[in-house]
Order: sequence, then structure tokens, then C-alpha cells
Amino acid sequence: MLIKYLFAKNEDIPAGSSSVFFGFSAIFWFVVGTGLGSFNAAKLAFPDWVTGSEMFAFGHMRQVHVLAVILGWISMAFAMTMMYMTPALGNTKLWSEKLGLWNAFLWNVGLSIGLFLLWMGITSGREYSDLIWPVDIVIFFAVLLPLGVNVWMTIAHRRTQGIYITNWFFGTCTFMIMVVFAVGQSPELFNLTGLTEAYMTFWFAHNVLGLWITPVAAAIAYYTIPKLTGNPLYSHRIGHLHFWSIIAFYSTPASHHLMSAPLPEWLKSFASVEGVLILIPAVAFVANILLTMKGKWSMFVENIETKFSITGVLLAIPLNMQGGFQQTRAINWYIHGTGWIVAHAHLALLGMSTFLEIAAVYFGLQQILRRKLYSLALANFHYWFVLIGFCIYWISMTIAGLIQGAGKIYEVPYIDVVVAEHPYMIARWVGGTMVFTGNLVWLYNMYMTAREGTVVPAGRYAHEMAYER
Amino acid sequence: MAFQQHKLGAAAIGGMLGLSMCITLMFPSFDFRSAESTWVGLDKNLSNGRVIGFSYEDPLVIGANKPITVILDKDPKTGEKIDPPMRAYVYKPGVPFAPAVRHPANTGPTVSQLSLNVGRMAEASEAEGAVFAINRGEVNGKDWDYIENLTALKGWTPADTLRAATDENTRYVGKGKTVYITEGCWWCHTLLPEQTQDWQIFGAPPMLGDFNGEMPTAFGSDRKAPDILHVASRNSSREWMDMHFFNPRLVQPNSIMPRFDYLWGETDAHGNKIDFDKWRTEYKEYRAGIRIYPPEIPEYAGDSEVRALVDWILTSLK
Amino acid sequence: MAIKFDQPFYSLSDEAEQNRIIELWEAEKHGGLWEGNNRLPLPLTFLIALIVLTAFMLTMPIWGQRPTAHDFVEHVALMDTPEIQAIEDPVAKMARVHEIAYQRADSRVKASLERHPITWDDLLNIAPEIREAQASGKYPLDYYSVLADTIVLANFEGNPTADGSPERKQPWWDKGYTIDVFYVIYFFIFAFFVCKRLPHFSRKPDMSNAK
Repeated sequence: MLIKYLFAKNEDIPAGSSSVFFGFSAIFWFVVGTGLGSFNAAKLAFPDWVTGSEMFAFGHMRQVHVLAVILGWISMAFAMTMMYMTPALGNTKLWSEKLGLWNAFLWNVGLSIGLFLLWMGITSGREYSDLIWPVDIVIFFAVLLPLGVNVWMTIAHRRTQGIYITNWFFGTCTFMIMVVFAVGQSPELFNLTGLTEAYMTFWFAHNVLGLWITPVAAAIAYYTIPKLTGNPLYSHRIGHLHFWSIIAFYSTPASHHLMSAPLPEWLKSFASVEGVLILIPAVAFVANILLTMKGKWSMFVENIETKFSITGVLLAIPLNMQGGFQQTRAINWYIHGTGWIVAHAHLALLGMSTFLEIAAVYFGLQQILRRKLYSLALANFHYWFVLIGFCIYWISMTIAGLIQGAGKIYEVPYIDVVVAEHPYMIARWVGGTMVFTGNLVWLYNMYMTAREGTVVPAGRYAHEMAYER
Repeated sequence: MAFQQHKLGAAAIGGMLGLSMCITLMFPSFDFRSAESTWVGLDKNLSNGRVIGFSYEDPLVIGANKPITVILDKDPKTGEKIDPPMRAYVYKPGVPFAPAVRHPANTGPTVSQLSLNVGRMAEASEAEGAVFAINRGEVNGKDWDYIENLTALKGWTPADTLRAATDENTRYVGKGKTVYITEGCWWCHTLLPEQTQDWQIFGAPPMLGDFNGEMPTAFGSDRKAPDILHVASRNSSREWMDMHFFNPRLVQPNSIMPRFDYLWGETDAHGNKIDFDKWRTEYKEYRAGIRIYPPEIPEYAGDSEVRALVDWILTSLK
Repeated sequence: MAIKFDQPFYSLSDEAEQNRIIELWEAEKHGGLWEGNNRLPLPLTFLIALIVLTAFMLTMPIWGQRPTAHDFVEHVALMDTPEIQAIEDPVAKMARVHEIAYQRADSRVKASLERHPITWDDLLNIAPEIREAQASGKYPLDYYSVLADTIVLANFEGNPTADGSPERKQPWWDKGYTIDVFYVIYFFIFAFFVCKRLPHFSRKPDMSNAK
């Protein structure tokens, strides 16, 4: 239905169209990504479940899960929020709805091709940079560049003098992800080899999280929480402390992912100090948002978007506590390469940033479609299934990681570790499946909202209206 | 930055990111560049070829146009016995050379000079193919491993070398590493014993020069299975590997490794079609206690993917 | 844009600039949102100071390094004592050696021994190498890293020795750690300028009239 606008004149496209396109695509990819995750988890728990074809082999699907979630769900949800928040915060219109729609369209096409090739085993063999370099070029020019241009031009054409903190983040992060992506993929394009390649792989893997996923997710909270509660953001200056410390401290500790590889020791020392310092932006962010909630804490219980948002912010606390300390030499030797890290990665992506984004997607789609959410009960079902599923996953993998770490030090034969981990592998599958189920319900709920949600009158916010269902 | 100072802000962002990239990208590059390649690094390079993974010469990532590693026990030209047998890397005409040969600087300042001056590496041509080996030489009282171009030094041609080696002593290492990458083995197995902890079980961690010129390094980050960098030192049985790949539960009942029976392909070593359904039925009967012994696994063909994978494991992961 | 330094902890902007900012602040809303001018709560300021301190204390490059040959000298000496030779089982032998050596070790070596258990076979392998290194006296024993069943001269570049060559062991500082000190200092100077260019936090914009 939105495809018809691809060839319309820019003026004829209703405001927010690209946001809606991105929003539904993101939810779709979230369902796909978590579905694959659940299937993969089942294969770890029950290795003889589906066998005999390379198409359903764990090694062919694991990276598809990772990239479908990062590039499909997380990044598309970011694009969705950027397409409606950036103009709103500048009191203006999106620079080009048409560019936004084309961006969403090409993003879906490019990602589908890339993931299909990956599934077939056509890979570059570099973690998080698995996509082959022709697809990398498509991603850069059809996905990242148009998104950045749209955001920057909207900010440049804003009708306010100041720039709200969210837009500082959006404008900067869209730029930084382009730099990070280009540098991260350069080993394939320019045949940089050896430890340089290994280091660049994790330089990218670190910075895509540090300069794209976590800061943009945080920036979203700077919009949703004041918007939903009606409170002013607690502090402009704490927001900027957060912003600048992200750029300074989150862009540097890439080599802490390779603490046990033969990198130069000084680089590891440098990275691990910086790694602890990422707690500074974390403190600033969490404090700023939670203080903004002053007087409106009842909304944490009553309002579904606030519920999601604040849960995400609260999950940022353990996320950064783990992230800051687990990478120091004193702790890393115990948990490096274990399930603990898997749990931590899911805490960042499925915990903190997903919860913040879900809130923004719920809020944005209702606002743009001018329709009240179809069913609160289903939304609550979604919330609890994702939260409980995630917690099962997180806790079980953390325990499994500690078992693995102990096995590593006490020189337990590896097969005994595998046996000891088996219950947690099953728990991981159960948790993942719950998240997947919740998301299926969400997709249905949003589809029904678009079709049958109560119409929101002009000048009102969807979250101010009572539910009819 | 207060309010509308976005120009100042943009400059500050650029400056900060630039400083951070200077420290995290430029400074380490000096260290990486000065690293001298070890024997392991040269061996990986010569046996893997230019790139493992997607590339011009291998767009479908099936291990096409990769060098072949051979164990020679006699001189391909004169027929003299070589004792102990030596390892040589055969590049058929048209197969792109390894990064160590294409860009000698990859192997470090001393090693590249030895390879160029003593090993006559620069004389090799991709169009005609070449045979390489690793030799040891001395510079300033210290021993270094370097690359020898045996086509220039001894006149060995790729075809002669392959003939002299016979199929039995041929190892499809480059293709095997490709299978390792495409099948995603590295999502669970690492190639990186950790510097602080793993030496007792998984052997010594890799050294700084072990990676020069390797692409991709793919040493893995998430260990759901044993580290396999030195697996062939712990277990060098080809029969065990074959059974373990066909169905890991045949040799390790508690394993959670997937079955890799599809790497056998359609036909077995004798050209007969492999009946996977029959095998699975019989295996189920064995698990149910109806059969006493598990069914025999099929013998794989010489050009199957599993052969290359086992070749790689037993040759490279020592 | 003038910066003035007479009251750096109040504000780095002059009165006119502060008034201009407050006026703008009060006049402008971003899509219905606005921002307060509150300070970072004092406990959190201390928390940030604590984080910086922790970061440097916890990541000192000497924590979490490989064991050195020096850590196992006691083990090697104990191997030939009659008490140990009387024990048959290598596991029991090793346990006893470890027990005695652990007691005699200083706290740094103790920490290393806890993390890097060694088997009797590996000790047999490294013992002659350690004795040889000890006898040659070319380098101090803590220049050698123990890698499973062998020892290698480490590649560290630490503090300079008397003859000008660097020590081959991890110093408590290193290049990366030093870069960090300057990096953090630069950041906080920068952050100070960013925050203090704003009007002082006691000046709360009145946002009731914002458009």
C-alpha cells in the first residue's frame, strides 16, 4: 500500500509515510529475527531435531539471526523513530518523505538479498561483517547514506534555533555509523589481512554497538519519556555530558573484545580503562531519564509505552555494570568466550535497546496513523512475554557462562561442560520462544491498530485516550 | 554545546572521533606492520590462498581456485627420496597467490626480504602457476622461516608436483578452510586458546606473527565447543573424524554438534548414491536398541567437502 | 560567544550571553518538548569521580597477566626434595608442591598461582628450561612467560634499565595506560567548557510561556 508512494511527488506523500513503512518492516524483521533465534536455540538444545540439510544447519542460520535483528529490527526501528522524531523536534517536516520511502524499500530489498546469500553460506567469514562486500556497498549507499542525508537535511532545515539532545544524537550517530561501517568493511575491500582484519572486525562490532545501537536507543528515550509524561527533560547539561562522553569513551575500547588474542598489550590496557569509563555516559543517561519521571511514576504501571521505556532504561543499569567490568583483564579471563557474553549481548540488544524502541514504535505508529492501540491486553501480553522470555534467556545464559568459565579454569573436560549446560540451553530456547510469541502478537496488534484502532482526534495524543477494548 | 552552536559541535565531534580513531586505528597499525610472520603464519597463508570466503575467484564460496597442499616424499623432478617428507603448496596456473606472495610486506620486514632475495618469491607468476615451500634461514644470528619459490629454485612445476604426491598425500587445505567458514563451524569452535587460561587443555595460544596475511582470521568469539586450534595434536584419527562429522553422537553420545552428513554429497567413493534415509532408519533402530551396532557410515568421495574439511583439520590444526 | 574566566565555576559565559540563552530557552519548544537546566546531582558527581578512579585502579596492566618463570622457581626447587620424591602419584606430588610453594609465595605470585595451575608433566618440561635460564643469568626470571610446557622471553617493553634497554616485563603502566590519563584529562576539560558555557544551574528557565 505504501509502494504506490514510491513514484508519487514528494508533496503528495502524507507526512509520516516512511515512518510507517519502516515501522511495520521493523516489526516484521523482529518476528523473523526472533523466530530464527528460537529455532537456533532449539538446535543447541536438541541437536538431532532437524537434520540432513545444510539450509537448516545451525552454522548457516546463526549469522542470519544476528544480522536480521541488528540490521532488520534494531536499525529499522531506529530509522522509523528518526523519520518522525527528527522533524517533530525541529518543528518542521521531514526533508524528503520520498527519500525515506525509497530508503525503507531498498533497505528491505538489500537486507533480504544479503541474508539470503548468507543463509546459502556465501559469506565473508567475519563476525558481524558477514555480509559479502558487494552487499556491504549496497548497505552503505542504499541504507546508511540516504538515512543520514534525510536526518541531516531535516535538522539543517529545522525551524528552531536550538537542537534538542535527541537530534544531536541522531545527526551524529548516522554520521558515525557510516564512518564505522566503511572502516569496518575495509578489510574486504582493500584486502587488509591478519591481525589487522581481526582487530577491524571487532572495531566494527564494538562501535556498531557503542556509536549506533546504544546511543540511538538512549536518544529515543530522551524523546519518549518527556513526551509521554509531559515533564521537561530533567537536564540539558546532563544530556550533553552523556552525548560527549559517548563519543569520547565509547569509540575507543574496541580491543577489549580481543583481550586474549595476541594484540599489542598497550592497546588492551588503553581499551580496558576506556571500557570502564563507559559507565560515565550510562550514569548520566539513567539519572537524566529517571529524574525526568519525577511525579509521573504511576505511568510506569499504567501506560504501556512508559512501561516499555522505563524497563529499557532500568535494564541499562546491569548492562553497563557488566559491560564496564567484564572486559578488564582481572575479570575477562574468567568469562571470555562463554555464555555470559551471549547473555550480555542479548541484554544490550534484546534488553535495553529493544525495550526503548518498542516504546517508540508503539507511540509513533499510533501518533502517525492517528489511531488508538487496538488492544491493551495484547500489548500487555507482549510486554510480559518479551520481558519474562528475555529474563529467562539472560539468567540461564549467565549461569551457563559461569559454569563454562569454571570449567575453563578447573580444566574440566569440555564434554562435561556441555552436559552441565544442557538444562540452560533448554531454558534459553524456552525464553527465546516466548519473545518470538510475544512479537507475533505485537505484529497482529499493530496490524489491527492500523485497520481498526479508534481514531484519535486532532490535537490529542493517543496515550491520553481511554481504551475501548 | 549550548543550543545553536551546531557548527562548533560538528567540529568537536569530528575532532573527538578523529582523535579516537588515531589512537585505536593508526597507532596499532604500526605494531601490526612490524610483526614478523612465523612458520604458522606462512603455512596458513600458502595453504589458504588469497582469500577464504567470498572473492572473485570463488564467488559461490565452494573452495574453487584454492592452492593444494601436498606432502612430498620424493623429488617431483629427479625422483630422489625426500626424508623426512616435506610440505609443498601447489598453485595451479591461474590460481591467485596468497597475500604473503602478492604483498611481501605482509610477512614482516625480515621475512619478506629473505623470501624475495633467497627464496626468489617475486619470480613466481600466477599465469604459469608455482610451487612454494617454507624454509629456514639465518639473519644476524637469528633463524627465520621464509617462503621459497620451488618453481624458480628447483624447476618443479605444479603438474609434476601433484603427480609425484599422488592423491594419498594431497591435502585440500584451502578448500577445507572454506568449508569451515561456510558451514559456520567457527560459531561454536574457536581457534584461539586464551592467553591467560587455556594452555593445559587446548594448547599454546597463537603468537603475534601467526596471523600475517590471513583473511579472514575467524578465530571465533563464542565458545560452545572445544577450542580446535591444536585438535589434530590431541586426536589425529581420520576414522574418528569421519564418524564424528557424519553423526557426532556415534562417538560422543553427549555432543550437541550438528550432523554434517550433507557434506558427503550425493555419491560415495565408489560413485554409488548414498541412501541417507536408510542410514537414518537404521540409526534410529540402533538408538532404540533394535540393532546392536550402528550402521556403517558411507565412504566419501575424493572431491567431497568433508574430505577437504578433514584434510584441513589434520594438516593445519596441529 | 565571549568566554570569561572570572567565575569559572559559576559560568564561563558573560551576563549578556547567559540572558540571551535563558530567553531563547524560554521562548522555544522542540516539538512540545523542553529541557531543564538542572545540575548533575552531587552524589552522582562523586559517582563519576569514583568511576574514573576505579577505571584506573582496576585495569592496571599488571593485573591478569601471564605467569612468569619466576612464579615457578619454588616449584622447581621443591621437585628434588626427598619429601616430594617419596610421593608416587603425580597428581599428589603436584598438589604437595603447590601447597608448599603457595605458602612461601608473596601475594602477587599467590594470585598468579591460583589462576595458573600447572600439571606435573608440564613442570617436568619447564624445570630444565627454568634452571638453564637461572644459570645463564642473562635475564631476570620474570622476563620469561610460561606457555604451558615451555617458557619464552616476553616481548614487553617496560621501564628502561640501567643500560638503556627496556625491561621485558609488564610495568604497572604502559603506553596505552598513559594515553588514557591524558585522554581522560582532555575529556574533562572539554566537558567542563561545554557545561559551564551554559547559564549557572541556579538560573531555572521559566517554561510556562514556551510556544
